[in-house]
Amino acid sequence: MSVLPQQVTDFLKTSAPFDQLSDADMSDLAKYASLIYLTEENQDTLLEENAGRLFLIQNGQFSVRDSEEGERHLSEGDYFGYHQLIDNISYPLTVKVDKPGLVFCFTAEAFKRAMDLPAVNDFFHGSRADALQNQAVNDSNSMWLYKALNDVIAGTPVQASQNVTIRDAANVMAQNKVSSLLITRNDKLVGIVTDRDLRNRVVAKATDITLPVHTIMTRTPAMLHQYRTMFDAMALMTERNIHHLPVVDRNSRKPLGMITTSDVVRHQRGNVLFIIGELAKADNLYELTRLSWQMPHYFATHAKRLGDFDIAGKVLSQATDIMTRKLIYFYQREHGPAPIKFSWVVYGSQAREDQTMGSDQDNGLLLETMPDHAEGQYFEALSAYVCNGLAKCGIKLCDGNIMASNPALRLSLKQAEGEAKEWVRQPTPAAIMHFNIFLDARCAAGDTDLFHCLQRLRAPVLKQKIFLAALARHNNDVSVPLSMFQKFVYEKGYEHKDTIDLKVKAVAVINNLARIYALASGLTVPATLSRLAALPAGAGLSTKDAQNLRDIWLFLNRLRWRHQLTNKVTDNRVRVSDLSSIEKHQLKAAFKAIERAQQGAVMHFSGGMS
Amino acid sequence: MLAVLRQCLGLFNRIPADKAERLIHEAPLLAIDLELTSLDSAKAKVTSVGWVEGLGNTINLDSCFYSVVRASGDFAQSPVIHGLIQEHIAGGKHVRDVLKRLKTYADTHIWVFHNANLDLSILQRVFADTGIHCPPVMFIDTLKLAVYQLKKYHQILPPNSATLSVCRQRLGLPAAPAHNALDDAMATLQLWIAQNHALNGSKAIRFGDLLHTRAVDYRKMEKK
Repeated sequence: MSVLPQQVTDFLKTSAPFDQLSDADMSDLAKYASLIYLTEENQDTLLEENAGRLFLIQNGQFSVRDSEEGERHLSEGDYFGYHQLIDNISYPLTVKVDKPGLVFCFTAEAFKRAMDLPAVNDFFHGSRADALQNQAVNDSNSMWLYKALNDVIAGTPVQASQNVTIRDAANVMAQNKVSSLLITRNDKLVGIVTDRDLRNRVVAKATDITLPVHTIMTRTPAMLHQYRTMFDAMALMTERNIHHLPVVDRNSRKPLGMITTSDVVRHQRGNVLFIIGELAKADNLYELTRLSWQMPHYFATHAKRLGDFDIAGKVLSQATDIMTRKLIYFYQREHGPAPIKFSWVVYGSQAREDQTMGSDQDNGLLLETMPDHAEGQYFEALSAYVCNGLAKCGIKLCDGNIMASNPALRLSLKQAEGEAKEWVRQPTPAAIMHFNIFLDARCAAGDTDLFHCLQRLRAPVLKQKIFLAALARHNNDVSVPLSMFQKFVYEKGYEHKDTIDLKVKAVAVINNLARIYALASGLTVPATLSRLAALPAGAGLSTKDAQNLRDIWLFLNRLRWRHQLTNKVTDNRVRVSDLSSIEKHQLKAAFKAIERAQQGAVMHFSGGMS
Repeated sequence: MLAVLRQCLGLFNRIPADKAERLIHEAPLLAIDLELTSLDSAKAKVTSVGWVEGLGNTINLDSCFYSVVRASGDFAQSPVIHGLIQEHIAGGKHVRDVLKRLKTYADTHIWVFHNANLDLSILQRVFADTGIHCPPVMFIDTLKLAVYQLKKYHQILPPNSATLSVCRQRLGLPAAPAHNALDDAMATLQLWIAQNHALNGSKAIRFGDLLHTRAVDYRKMEKK
């Protein structure tokens, strides 16, 4: 009699891909398995005894090297030892036990039997590919297009066997209120029948409706498997000029669902870029605010995969830009055009295009010349209208009053240049705290040339070494939240005990670094990733370090977006207990790299060489 | 000298010297759990039995055994907890068949219990009732070992601090479903392995070395 404790089956049933196994296959796999308690002291003996097996961690933490790929930090639910089983090469296996725990050992024979199942096979070949591609970058431009069809299709598709009569097939369609029917043979998709087929091939030709449905179906229809994307589906539907596209299982070709043109339209509507399109169409403040308030909801519903978060900040910033331009347009429609040239300049996160849900507005006005009294009144009223309008659209007013409605932030070109010289003259820590935000600037509306003119005037001023050295030292004052023993240091005084403010402690530090190197090279782009990418050779930061900072920045950004969307909050205090064990490992590595980069910048800019 | 001392201690504890000298990591283990109709060892009837074998730090899943035991008469609320209904119990094996199988492990394996007193006194009684002769067994009690550890920190044990699930939690073992004989046996065996690691690390220790914890003992299975 083969029996297994429930704790074993419960665990295997939650461990992909073995969760896909039937009960019989599961007990076959587990029957020849053993469970070991792996500790630092016994690992040599146990790993030797279990050489050539597949290991699955039930609990504990281990740093494992089991292939040519380098060390991996593994914990609950992770596998190791499969490389050698797949490649038939015996790689040396070394394990460092960070925390002892229970590990399942499956025999090579049992693993090979399980690999006969496509789901298991896909999983292990897939996890190899993932392990290899460690890059975080994915320049997806619109999230919804890259949604897997698996996430789009809902419910089982309406289907019938190829041997039912045409009349029965039509009845199935009528009962289910659908316009297309999938036809199967032995559960595999072999054809499709649509309303049009019934019209053209049955009614028009007076075909006998007791004939089997396969006589009138479209054979070998276009189809996609469940892991392809909406983009693929749209492309195929456009190319073939079809309105129904069956989705089948990659391995068994069993129908899983149907994508129709109305699904495409619906998803287009449910997409953040769609909201931007709608914002651009808004014709009054009411419409604009109504649409803007839907943005958090759209993000929460449609940004699911980590890659989506990479562009979420950009989408949000673009939306804020559009709101700003709309509001200026509404104002000018009422009060006439501006008396002199102006640029609506945005600062901080909006300039860098990495806004999050909690970002408030940071903006100012750059004027061609000193305004006279009447001109001053015009811009005062315009600024008040736009800033309040943005607040109504959900972009909070700035607590620090960094807004165009503040007269101190409506400067003429000459004043703005003088201001920059003042920063450079006295870069005290207090002054840096104050002006740091203005060093990331972008023209969101109004006259772009005017703004570029300011940038040209400022660039040589801001390049001065003493100034950059002061910025680098100031940035070094933030210490990454790691203790001497590489443990996380948490924020104090909050409801949850294990939070880290990823913005203050990490993202802002990278932003600062990118800014300092960019200023030194005279770059004018404000976005952190663009700055890192555009740094010329000899900028003081190697290409490798720049890429590393970029990956870390993306990783941190993903974590804080996920935190905001899943916990429905607007802060950046990410809870460490919300992270997977791998993410904790990665976060520590990220902090260490940031610390090295901080010190590197101090050495580079204030190393006493100038 | 040490051996003599051990022998004296062994006599005192009724443990034969050869057993006390056995290295822990070389002795096959059998973790056993019984499900009972009540906690009164004089009256309780066995409703199911589960066990699993281990050696050192390895648990052999192939060795899992579970059987519902046939019984008659009414029973207290326990079967409700264990999820067994009258029908299962009526369809189970006769306790005699399970005991015959169990006694083959008596001489070869070290038995592992969480609260050995209860389970062993019941086993003694059912062995006697069925007239099956079972050799004396050497056993480990994870409850006693937990109490030994807890007493280092507490004069009076906090309530519920030595239950199987709390002991497991303390050693970082994953939560396990309780109240099925096989699951509890598996949970107990894992607990022992983790306890042994926490207590002794990699040292090659002998059963005799654990006598002071009172968690290791030797018992005749005949009823006194």
